[in-house]
Amino acid sequence: MSGRLILRRLGAFGAVLSVAAAVCAIDTAPAAAAAPVGYVRLAHLSPDTPDVDVYLSTVGGTGAPQVFPGVGYGVVSKYLPLPTGTYAVSMRLAGAPATDPPVLTTNVTVADGKAYSVAGVGKHADLGLKVIDDDLSPPPSGKAKVRVVQASVRAPVLNLSIAGGASIASNVSFATTTDYLQVQPGRWTLRAEGVNGGPAGTLGVHLDSGNVYSVLVLDAKNGGLSAELRLDAAGMGKPPTGGVQTGAGGTSRSPLSRVPAGIGALAGTGVVVLLCVAGLVAYQRRRQLASR
Amino acid sequence: MGAGAAAAVLVGVLVAVATGAYLSRGGHAPVAARSVPPVVVVSPGRGPAGFVPSDGAGTGGAGGGGVAGDGVAVDPPTRLRIPAIHVDAGLELLHLDASGTMTTPQDWARAGWFADGVAPGEVGPAVIAGHVDSKTGPAVFAQLDRLHAGDLVEVQRAARWVAFRVVAVGRYPKNAFPTAEVYGPTPDPQLRLITCGGTFDSAQRSYVDNTVVYAVAT
Repeated sequence: MSGRLILRRLGAFGAVLSVAAAVCAIDTAPAAAAAPVGYVRLAHLSPDTPDVDVYLSTVGGTGAPQVFPGVGYGVVSKYLPLPTGTYAVSMRLAGAPATDPPVLTTNVTVADGKAYSVAGVGKHADLGLKVIDDDLSPPPSGKAKVRVVQASVRAPVLNLSIAGGASIASNVSFATTTDYLQVQPGRWTLRAEGVNGGPAGTLGVHLDSGNVYSVLVLDAKNGGLSAELRLDAAGMGKPPTGGVQTGAGGTSRSPLSRVPAGIGALAGTGVVVLLCVAGLVAYQRRRQLASR
Repeated sequence: MGAGAAAAVLVGVLVAVATGAYLSRGGHAPVAARSVPPVVVVSPGRGPAGFVPSDGAGTGGAGGGGVAGDGVAVDPPTRLRIPAIHVDAGLELLHLDASGTMTTPQDWARAGWFADGVAPGEVGPAVIAGHVDSKTGPAVFAQLDRLHAGDLVEVQRAARWVAFRVVAVGRYPKNAFPTAEVYGPTPDPQLRLITCGGTFDSAQRSYVDNTVVYAVAT
């Protein structure tokens, strides 16, 4: 056998071993995990501020920012899934060049699995960008979670209740957000009402248990208040208890199944080696026979 | 290298791969089940999501997850495809039993959708469970633990297929099942695929662990 031929065969043999090693590596790899991600959504909650263009960019990153043009009062975006890290949120008046200095900028640090609302809040004269932690953890079994996002300057302090029923939140000030509160699921009419005889508005809602909601209270276009329901996250009213019985053991009986993965992998590799050697020997013998 | 040698090597590789896979089947070094499971992990790069207009949208029954008020799903899912592990199976309907645990598919070759929960493609964690094996051999989710981040999962609802991408795979002892992680609220449409894993407790006639695949709608 020539030296070159041996080298070629060794190369092929090495390639086979690499494949076997890769297969074994896949087989014994620990549970796969994706890059950690959190959620951010953006909102315009300032009644007398005109429409804005919102820019979202990574701090220190090089990528172009995501731009959300012409965002008006009362608008709340969907959640954007973002890799963990720190992001800059900037607002410019709608149509202003991206090169203009922003009216407002704030940073939001996104942690794994957490959710945030970044909102323009307050009156235009003292507009601020606020980062609100959205606690999307499950409500207690059989309950829903609701919070109030108070963006009405017309009723600067207000109460939210179930019409003719229980209070949900009291004395909520303009430009603030309450914690999430437990409520009984069902079909309700919610009533927002300014304290001391302020304006009022109602909203029919269907709250499902296991879900997380925000009630947005806004100055209505034509006077008074308007309220809107946002589904922040959906779960299930009655999640199953404990684990799931999804196996009868039919593939666990073989004595081989008890072989630890490492030994299985070694055995697999050994079989590769043997079969490759056998294949090469057979090939060599055939060549020798053919060349006679 | 001649065609003969190439063929011999190829056969060697195939046989060896099959052998190695068989030998280590079910014998995974018990990967320490994570006490801190993957939280709401979602693939990045889904692009900017549109703003929800303030007028009208979101009022009324914004919840529901595609399930009408009487609990009947609109277009219940009927079929599941997972190309990476050659799953193409019909779906049964699963519910809670009297003890509050989830029922399991009657047919080893089919998976089941948890119909008391979220419909696949609606906001929230939709749940599909399937057996890893029957009493005699592999069942529909025999290879579920081989899925990796990025693998495609498709669920049929009426004429449309809802697509998901795997983001994480976890294995947990059943006696420490992370209910909030697996079934807790999510802000976007997600999917959980559940089967058994770990060692089989012959006395209890039950596997010790559950394997959970986390996926998000694409």
